[in-house]
Amino acid sequence: MNPILAGVALAVIAGAVAAVASRDPRVAVLALATTLILSPLLADPVAAPVGLAARFVGSILAAYLLWIAVRDRPSVGPVSAATEGSRIGWPAEVLIAAAASVVGYSAHGLGAPADGPALASAAGFALAALAVVPMLTGRDVLRMGTGLILLLDAALVVRVGLGGTPDPLEQLVTSGLLVALGGTLATLAMAARGDGTGGLELTADSGTRRRWEPDAHPLDPAAGPPR
Amino acid sequence: MTLLPFLIVTIGGALAVLFLRGPERLATAVGLLALLVALVSALAMRPNESLAIGESGLATTGYLRLFLVLGSLVGLILAVIGAAAGSRRDATAVTLAVLGTSALALSLPDARLAVLAATAGGAFGALLCVAPLGGRAGATIGIRALRATVVAGTMAIAAIAWIGRDLSELAAQPVVFGLAYLAVALAVAIRFGVIPVHAWAARLADTVPETTLPLVTAWAPAALAIVALAWADASIAPLRVDVDVDQARAVVLAVALASIVLASVAAWIQDDLEHIVGYAIIGEAGVVMLAVAALDPEAWAPARMWILSFVVARSAFAAWAAAVRTTFFTGRVADLRGWAIRSPLLAIAFLFIVLASIGLPGLAAFDARGALIEGTVDGPLAVVAWIGVLSPLAFYGRLFLVGVGRPDPRPGADTSWLPVFSPLALTDLRRWATMTWSDNRAFIATGSATLLAVVALAVSAGMFGGPAAAAGLPPTVERAAESLEPDQPESPLETPGPSLEPEPSVELEPSLEGDPGASEPGPEGPGPSFEPVPTASG
Repeated sequence: MNPILAGVALAVIAGAVAAVASRDPRVAVLALATTLILSPLLADPVAAPVGLAARFVGSILAAYLLWIAVRDRPSVGPVSAATEGSRIGWPAEVLIAAAASVVGYSAHGLGAPADGPALASAAGFALAALAVVPMLTGRDVLRMGTGLILLLDAALVVRVGLGGTPDPLEQLVTSGLLVALGGTLATLAMAARGDGTGGLELTADSGTRRRWEPDAHPLDPAAGPPR
Repeated sequence: MTLLPFLIVTIGGALAVLFLRGPERLATAVGLLALLVALVSALAMRPNESLAIGESGLATTGYLRLFLVLGSLVGLILAVIGAAAGSRRDATAVTLAVLGTSALALSLPDARLAVLAATAGGAFGALLCVAPLGGRAGATIGIRALRATVVAGTMAIAAIAWIGRDLSELAAQPVVFGLAYLAVALAVAIRFGVIPVHAWAARLADTVPETTLPLVTAWAPAALAIVALAWADASIAPLRVDVDVDQARAVVLAVALASIVLASVAAWIQDDLEHIVGYAIIGEAGVVMLAVAALDPEAWAPARMWILSFVVARSAFAAWAAAVRTTFFTGRVADLRGWAIRSPLLAIAFLFIVLASIGLPGLAAFDARGALIEGTVDGPLAVVAWIGVLSPLAFYGRLFLVGVGRPDPRPGADTSWLPVFSPLALTDLRRWATMTWSDNRAFIATGSATLLAVVALAVSAGMFGGPAAAAGLPPTVERAAESLEPDQPESPLETPGPSLEPEPSVELEPSLEGDPGASEPGPEGPGPSFEPVPTASG
């Protein structure tokens, strides 16, 4: 086992644990950035410098867009943007990640010899396991978004474990995807913060479909349709 | 390479519109201009070009060109209708982003990369949820749409990575091929929001305007569906004789049929046009799922032809719904009595849309859909499928009956559908132009919807070279050799792209353990046990 690669895998998983466990959104975004930046290093051989640079830029940009959305701003209201954090505490998240890592390491290749390192599979499974709960039960934009980014990163890392080091074009397209995801999440987070008290919470789901209001007939047709 | 200007225009245009979203008129103008330039770039695109980048690259095909030309044209018309109907300022940015990512997805020969691009396109779609409701409610619906996109993307990335390598020493049971196929097929289903995974798409119809709904639920998923079709035809279909994927295929078929039939029922019971449009899209996406379930190279050309017709026809229906709302200030069906009598142009557009989506024998889309049904199901299931694909006639008929009913006497009901021109004011041209635009919003929306309906009918009829382009091969970098001749081999398997190479590396040979019947493995009956055997290529 390559000790450097093992260290990178541990750092990736630690970043993911901190991202899902922290209640401070800035800490969560910073931890997420750590995971995103280190993930492309989980490859053997390491990707070409051009591809790595593209991934670093994409990861930093995605995280920075989220950072912009969650930082404290007087204009968005009195409440700072807190996120839920883990409901079971970080030690339990660590145990979940450890168990998933063992499964991923043992199942490396999923039935056939793989072209990438087993540590990538271990880290990928851990990221996926950590992503499930925030993604399915998250009640604020950042927590759900953290789950989504971790899930996508898990797929990318598992893909490296199965198929080997991506080429520069794949790294570039991946960077674009990460930036698109980060930008969209940041826009959604800012939309949530701009409404009401400035928090990141989602609206409660009543379980029923919103019905369109009866359209009022315009008093003055020349005024145009209601918007 | 002529694809690059299109990518630069669409991605650059999307970013420009997002940066300029403050002044709404400027953002709309820049967006419309970018869409126009994108249309010109798509028209100038040349098929059979390739650009090698490392081990992969980009390649253009005739189908890519046609998809982007139609996408740009439809996006432009929808943007004009959106501007007339008071749509959202981010709509053109999302349109441009979806077009750019679709261009990437359809030009990347490697399915692993193409899925990434298609997923990015879906991520942009969630932005549409932010502006209409504003704030928290929009963010809630948007992040659920984003969740569907990411989950689908993750499934597809993992499944394609699993298959896309050397599997000559496969130790697992071949049934895992079926699981990989099922994962990709369900990813397509989730992206389209077909029944039963339609909750996010239904909520989306609550939120986004009619003109933007097809972008998220038709155009962006269509790119993923085309990629998935190429991947399944190249990676799964050749193994179908040796590997039992029938259970996975049965699940996909069930999803397809459920969506085709139940979406029409759902559309029938809706009381507003937005949800009728939403469920109409879901129903026809069920036919795309039929194509995914076909696993037969014969379905390649009909499937891609149907996708072209489907996205344009559903966009035309959405445009028609927006024009109705703009003309009559309501989208509630009960309040629309006499719409066809009051606005004959809308009635003509409606007729074209019905023809484009339901079709007639001889129209390319109708024949393509028929070929897909015949190639995937038979017996009673085929009857169910045919009833399902014709069932939209029920909600179309309902809308038509409402349209020819006695008009409701109410304020605003006597609004003319004809254009209105005030005398030209040479001293204040800007004010005159603003007033003329404002006075003719309904006519502009209706006229644009009619134009789009004509385009939809033309695509459905097979014009613009649709059937020939659909029969072409997927992009390849080494030898970008798509032929637009209809009599060329329709199978994409004969010249697979770089990403499609690993699949022949597994040759599954039946182990004959005293079972003479096992020498001819088939999809039915107890299959023999398979052991992977390394091949020369492996």
